[in-house]
Amino acid sequence: MAINHEPQVFLFLSRILGKKIVGAEGKVLGRVYDLTAEFVEPYPVVTGLVFSSAQKRNPVFLPWKDVVDLARDVSVAINSTRELSTLNLRQGELLLREDLLDKQVVDTDGAKIRRVNDLQFLKTSHGLHLVHVDVGFRGLIRRVGLIKPFDAILQSLFDYKLPNQLISWKFVQPLHSLDLLRLNITQNRLGQIHPADLADILEDLDIRQRGAVFKALDVETAAETLEETDPKIQVSLINDLNTAEASDIIEEMSLSEAADLLGDLPKAKAEGILKEMEKEIADDVKELLTHPEREAGGMMTTSYLSFRPSTTVGEALEKFRQEAEDIDLVYYVYVTDEEDLLLGVISLRDLILADADKRLEEIMDDRVISVKLDDKDDTIAEHFAKYAVTAIPVVDENDRMQGTILFRNLLDVVAPHLGK
Amino acid sequence: MVGKMTEKIGHIAKDLFKKGFWKLGLFFAFIGPGIITSNVDNDAGGITTYSLAGAQYGLSLIWILIPITVALIIIQEMCARMGVVSGKGLSDLIRERFGAKITFYLMIILLLANLGNTLCEFAGIAASMEIFGVSKYISVPTGAFFVWWLVVKGNYKSVEKAFLLACVFYLSYVISGFLVNPNWSEIKTAAITPNLQFDSGMLTMAIGIIGTTIAPWMQFYLQSSIVDKGLKAESYKYARMDVIFGSITVNVVAFFIIMLCAVTLFQNGLKIETAKDAALALAPLAGSYASLLFAFGLLNASLFAASILPLSTAYTICEAFGWEASLNTKFIEAPQFYGLYSLMIFLGAGIILLPNVPLIAIMYYSQVINGILLPFVLIFMLLLINDKRIMGNFVNSRLMNIVSWATVVILNGLSVAMVVSAFF
Repeated sequence: MAINHEPQVFLFLSRILGKKIVGAEGKVLGRVYDLTAEFVEPYPVVTGLVFSSAQKRNPVFLPWKDVVDLARDVSVAINSTRELSTLNLRQGELLLREDLLDKQVVDTDGAKIRRVNDLQFLKTSHGLHLVHVDVGFRGLIRRVGLIKPFDAILQSLFDYKLPNQLISWKFVQPLHSLDLLRLNITQNRLGQIHPADLADILEDLDIRQRGAVFKALDVETAAETLEETDPKIQVSLINDLNTAEASDIIEEMSLSEAADLLGDLPKAKAEGILKEMEKEIADDVKELLTHPEREAGGMMTTSYLSFRPSTTVGEALEKFRQEAEDIDLVYYVYVTDEEDLLLGVISLRDLILADADKRLEEIMDDRVISVKLDDKDDTIAEHFAKYAVTAIPVVDENDRMQGTILFRNLLDVVAPHLGK
Repeated sequence: MVGKMTEKIGHIAKDLFKKGFWKLGLFFAFIGPGIITSNVDNDAGGITTYSLAGAQYGLSLIWILIPITVALIIIQEMCARMGVVSGKGLSDLIRERFGAKITFYLMIILLLANLGNTLCEFAGIAASMEIFGVSKYISVPTGAFFVWWLVVKGNYKSVEKAFLLACVFYLSYVISGFLVNPNWSEIKTAAITPNLQFDSGMLTMAIGIIGTTIAPWMQFYLQSSIVDKGLKAESYKYARMDVIFGSITVNVVAFFIIMLCAVTLFQNGLKIETAKDAALALAPLAGSYASLLFAFGLLNASLFAASILPLSTAYTICEAFGWEASLNTKFIEAPQFYGLYSLMIFLGAGIILLPNVPLIAIMYYSQVINGILLPFVLIFMLLLINDKRIMGNFVNSRLMNIVSWATVVILNGLSVAMVVSAFF
């Protein structure tokens, strides 16, 4: 049986229900009727399965730890159902088929949206996590058992594959008494939320599973997920992708994160990726890459806003609104002259509270704390601690502004060395 | 059972008189779903069947309306109870209890059956307006737009009022019944004398009458509209009265149609094939008023049903798949609901306007599909109403179970007989 399956990381409840349960000696014990799950944060964990056996009248409960494999049949570690007890739900446990499947999904306003057509699990070495609720037409067709002919027809006629419509479990609250699931977002925001943000458990997965999950994400989500994960895992994930895929994802990351990641990659791979990236972003990243990681230059981001002293508050806020979405640092804006000489700093709060027709030089704080490009991490940490700021600008030997260090960026560099 | 029912109704009537008119007002506040659902039974197809029954077999089948009334009350009462207690529609409950697969196929069959029926309603609009000299190319689009506008632009209250008004127009059949001055004692005897010869034509007709009166879509519609009206368990007794009252009125109307055709067409040996034939043939025998009233009744019934059937389909399918479905929403808040409703009307009216539509075949097969569907729906209903988790203390009593299972077995036997005879 040493067939090398693609690692099945995502599983649907409808595919598990009805599967044969095969004992350790190859005897069929029954068929899966239902699964139980414990509702823990962030994703419920499957605790066992329920099936009816020939030997007992009532359905019996099999703890999930006795389940060996799910690939084809459900193989289990026991031989007979004799020692199994009947189902006895503990506090915080629910039956997935009985209590969730086919139930109504409503939004915060109580408007009906869909029904739970299926449930999607993520399989990890720790077990099965309930991660998504399937509310789409594809899920319905899968339940009906027509997904293969349906896909074949769509594929041959329109070259189209109907996508799954999944809602992350994070947005779902089961209301057991009312027989329905309530989303904690409104219906018109449903299109905006991203179903697959799994950074929470990505780190718990083994390498093969992690790669499979990561490839299933779209570019934006993958970038967000990547920013949240450990640098070592980042490297292994990016290494698995080809340069084109990798560059698409890295372009979506913040500049400093991107630079850090590229700095950790093997040189050939990093250069390949940089070539594939948009030139503008690639240049910024390269600039950051020239500095050692544990010096100010290596930690800083070049993604901040700076204005001339004569700019009015109104103009600055206008520009801020247009650009803030793509900017790493939003809590401060800097005031520089035409030579990029750093003149002052203004916090977002002061900017918002100031009269719109005032000029920035009138409200800026000219006692700016800054660090030099080659200042080390311990110096920078001291500055952060002493002045209680959330970002510190970086200047070169001529006091020209080069970038700014977010506290978060410092932490990324320093944290791995703490406690050593 | 019949005795008990009449006793109960007598009791209710006495109660109403005793407690004065405000009580009556309260009753009228809660009625609607039952009366509307029952009356839509007398749609174009129903009127055609009753006319044919009267014209071909005279008064000899009229007794069958009494057991039909009882069966209708038993079944509709269960729907009303489920709607009031669970706050969910029938397809809602079926989906949650029996899963996606069964529900999916059930909905496809129901959609086809209802589409076939809707087509017949638009045929009814066309036929009745032709009696008044209006071309179907004018009457059908106008009628379609009217019913579409009524529901899409209205809310539950306004739509219900329009529907209740349509119910009143069924009186036109009662009036035409009196216009022909029938021999009442002969009719009374016929009504209480069960009479069924085992000739295949008469049996088919009997099954046809039952089939047109107890249709699958009704159970779904009644329960959904009770939920949409927002009736709660406290007001259940009014919902039950509504159902009983509705089931009786519908059969009173059916009674007058059969009687009218029996004492005129049958006694003069006239053969008819459609409700339009009946209306036209009535003119020389019963006077032009009776004929026009008959045609007007047909128009009213067809319009009414052409609105309700698509509405019922939209309710049922949206519930099954969990989409928002309520007359109290805007188009944009329940796009699937109003979309399905509009599509049904568009298809129903559109197909009728095509040249050479095989209308008789469509009517026939939609009856067959209904016959296939009914046993499943009734059995699901009985399983659901006995489910403690859904119904709590409102599950069927033992007596009610015996009566309802017996009714369902008989109805299912007849449905199966009809489907089998359709194929052989």
